[in-house]
Order: sequence, then C-alpha cells, then structure tokens
Amino acid sequence: MDYLYSYLILSEIYVLLGLSTNLLVGVVGIFSVSQAAVFGVGAYIVGDFLLSGTLSFLPAVAVAAVACIALNVLITLPSLRVAGDYFVVTSFGIQLLATATFTNWTWGTGGANGMPGVPPPDLFGMQISSTRGILAVSTVAAALGCLAFWLILRAPFGRLLKAIREDELAVAAAGKGVLRAKVSAAALAGAFAGVAGGVYATYLSFIDPTSFDLDASILLLTMVVVGGARTLWGSVLGPFLLLALPQLLTLIAIPTTYAATMQQLVYGALLIAFALFRPQGLLGERL
Amino acid sequence: MLLLQLLANGIVTGSALGIVAVSFALIYSTTRVFHVAHAGVFTLGGYLAWSLVRAGVPDLLALAGAMAGCVVLGAAIQRFLYAPLERRGAAQLVVLIASLGTLAVIQNLLAAVYSPDILQFPSAWAGHVFGLGGLRLTGAQLATVGVDFAAFGWVMWFAHGTLLGKRIRAVAANPFLAEITRLEPRRVHVLVMAIASALVCLPGVLGPLDYGLQPYGGVTPLLTATIAMIAGGIGSLAGAFFLAIAIVVLQNLSLLVMPGEWSIGVTFAIFIVFMLFRPRGLFASG
Repeated sequence: MDYLYSYLILSEIYVLLGLSTNLLVGVVGIFSVSQAAVFGVGAYIVGDFLLSGTLSFLPAVAVAAVACIALNVLITLPSLRVAGDYFVVTSFGIQLLATATFTNWTWGTGGANGMPGVPPPDLFGMQISSTRGILAVSTVAAALGCLAFWLILRAPFGRLLKAIREDELAVAAAGKGVLRAKVSAAALAGAFAGVAGGVYATYLSFIDPTSFDLDASILLLTMVVVGGARTLWGSVLGPFLLLALPQLLTLIAIPTTYAATMQQLVYGALLIAFALFRPQGLLGERL
Repeated sequence: MLLLQLLANGIVTGSALGIVAVSFALIYSTTRVFHVAHAGVFTLGGYLAWSLVRAGVPDLLALAGAMAGCVVLGAAIQRFLYAPLERRGAAQLVVLIASLGTLAVIQNLLAAVYSPDILQFPSAWAGHVFGLGGLRLTGAQLATVGVDFAAFGWVMWFAHGTLLGKRIRAVAANPFLAEITRLEPRRVHVLVMAIASALVCLPGVLGPLDYGLQPYGGVTPLLTATIAMIAGGIGSLAGAFFLAIAIVVLQNLSLLVMPGEWSIGVTFAIFIVFMLFRPRGLFASG
C-alpha cells in the first residue's frame, strides 16, 4: 500500500513538472533540457527554509515559486530574442551550471552528499507526516496545477499562445504582444516547477543533485513527448506511464547497478521513436 | 611558470575542442541540424579505440578503426534519422528531440557495455612526460596538439581547395539552388556527417588517452564547442577553431582564481557576453 502511495505522490509531483515542461516545449515551442534545474532550485529553497525553521511550508513554497518564476523567465528570455538553436546552448548550459552549483555549493545545498532531514510539510501549524497526508497535499497541488493549465488553454490567453505556435508573424502583425505571452507562459512554467520542488523535498526529506541533473531533464522531456504536447491529458499520462517503467524493468531482472542506465536508454529510445513515428505523443497535438 | 603551463594545457585541450567545434560547425552550416548526438559520436570513438587497443591492435590502427566506426554511425544517423525527419517536414524541435534521444541511447549503451566508471587507456607512451623548457606535457598532449592542428589544416584545405569541399559549401550556402543544379544536397548531407564524425573521433580518442574515458563525458566538450562555433560566427570554420582555443585557455587561466568545478560557469559566462554584445559572432560570414 505504501508503495502505491509513493508511486502516486511522485507521479503527481511529476505531473506538475510535466505541465511545466509542456508549457515551455509544447506551448511556447522551445527545446528545453533545463527544467530539472528549476525544479531543483525550488526543492533546495524549500529545504533550506524548513531546515532553518525561518518559514513554514506554504510561505516557503511561495518563495520558491517566485524564485523559480524569476529564474525561468531569465532563462527563457534570451531564447525569445535570438534564433531557436541558440537556446539549446543556453538550456544545456543552465542545466550543467545548476548541477555544478548543486554539487559544489556545500553551504546552501549540502553538496554531493545532499540535504538530509528536510521536515515534512506543515499546514496551519499541523505537521503532515503520514504518507496519506502528503498524498493529499500532492493531489491538491497537482489538481490546482491541472486546473490552472486547463483554464489557461481555454482562455483567450491560451488561444493567443496557440496562434503564436501556428504563425508567430501573423500574431505580431495583428498587434498582439508575442513576447509578453511567451514570457507569461514561461513564468507559469517556473511556478509549477517551484511548487513541485517544494512538495518533492518535503516528501522525500532527502534531496541530492542527482534528482535535478541532465538525466532528470531528459526524463521530463520524455514524459511530455510520450504523453503528448500541448494537452492537459498528455502531461498527466506521461508521468504516470514513465514512472511505472522502473517497475517493469525490475520484472525482467536487470542487475540494480544497471537499472538507471537501462531506464535512460529506454527514455532515449522513446524520444527517437516518438519523434519519428508519433510526434504528437499518445494524447497530444502535433509538435 | 604556472601561468605558462596553464596556457599550454589550454592550447592542448583547446585544439581538441577546436576540432569538435569545426566538425559540429560543418554539420550545422550544411544540414541545419543542431546535432546534439555529436557528443555521442565523440564518446563512441574513444571507446572503440580503447577496445581495439585492449584487443592488441597497434595504436594507429585502433585510431583508424575507431574513425571508421564513427563514420558509419554518423552516416547512419543522417540516413535513417535526420533525412526521414526532413522528408516529413518535421519541426526543428522534433529533430532536436530525436537527436537528444540518440545521444541518450549512445551514452547509456556505452555505460551498459563498458560500465559507467572511468576507463584508462593502457598505452604507455601517452602518459610519458616530456619536459620542454620548463613546460611539462604528456605524450598524449603532444599528440593531441599535433594531430588536431594538422586536422584543422586539412579541413581548411578540403573546404576551400577541393571540388567536394566547394560542393559542400555550395549546399550550405543555398540548399535550394544546390538542389536544382544537381549538387544532390541529400548525398552531400550524408557525406558531411561521415566526414565530421571521422574528424570528431580524433579528439574523442586523443583526449581520453590523457584523462580517461567516461560514457557521459561528451556533453560538456560539445557545449564548449557549440559556444565556440556561435562566438566564432556561424559559417566560419576558422572562427570556431580559434574561439575554442581561446575559450579553453580562458577556462584554464581561471583556475588561478577559482576552483576547477566552476569552469563550466566561465564558459557559460563567455557565451552570455557574446549573446549580449555580439550575438552573430566574431567572424560571421554574410
């Protein structure tokens, strides 16, 4: 039972991250391999505040969300000004720089040894330490994220984003603020990643740089590509499917030292196969 | 003296990354694909050479064998991945995703076959230290400088002095005109991928002779190389080569003031400066 709960909690956290990546990759249409870095910043900020006891859970998550919004906008802004391919460099650079910071900035992140003992989330003075309680927190967070994503895609703002994807020049010619729309989408993506980071840190109570490295970013991208870009259901399906994969791999008895390698191998193969044969993913629209 | 040694090390590693940058620029300016999987081809070359050397093949033959393997892989990626995607009119984003997927597959296959730990080449001459007027360079470093500068000279001659080189530059300059004048851009694309993959195999083998092989070790060199390509100006092969040397020299000099873990930060800061002040690079053509 605990195992099922843990799968659900992690999947819900990754749904938030999937929505975040989907906003950038699917909706704004830029290649990103740095969403795990933003996720990590959110996790470390919440971890630091709760460990030092300066803030309780909700304010800490709010600070993390604001920081991740700022960071994501800062990362994305250059891509909106220069040619798309340059952003690949920015994105890889940010991810490698973040990993270097998480690993070497011992004072703020615990370095390669990680940050142990992050207290469980608390709401209105009550500590939520049971797995069921945390499941409730992550469910509420994921549901709010899904609701926000759904409302935005239906709203005039969502139609504007879709129009930008179809024909950016035409939208600009119609007098709409293309840059503003893209920056807003990137900001929202940052908020999702920040909240996801906070829930992740408090649920696992231990975080280290390996959860936020390039491989993690590739996993996020795979979730969006497999689930399907630009739809809510795509971002929900992707995480639930891909987090079940490690369990499938244990069924075919791979030595545990190779488990992570095998998972990444499958993610890579999925990226190639979906790009070639089904760029719209299982439940998405054409990329 | 330390300064001079850092400078020398910078030129050695820089010339290696220069060839990575030149080969990447060759692909990017011709096929317009941001070939992220090039990092995988780079890594594969080193592992192939390691296997051949371990099997008792002489070092030079092992290098040639590794280059042949890289040529096959590069041409196959173009023929069976990028070309079909281009035919289907796939968005640039989708091609990038496919390329990233290829990189993940190559890296993790290597990790599964050879283990994710660092492997050292058994070649004794590579570790032998030569003293050059106070400078200390290993055999592998001397080979790196010699081979990579020679390779750069060869590329410049090939691109500007041979018919095939001119054909490649014609396809890069205007794919549409190249198509209607029967320069066969598709075949040229496969050729360019093959040549660039052979080139990137040189630093892919010579670098690890010095500091060992690692399955995930290709991403950072590729990032530095792409930054050099952009800073040098897309379309300028010499710009890519010399900017790569300049960036790595700066990286090495930064060791005087900060620990090595942050050298990725130095590289990235150089990129940001270029993006802000000269986004088209130093020697952009056209």
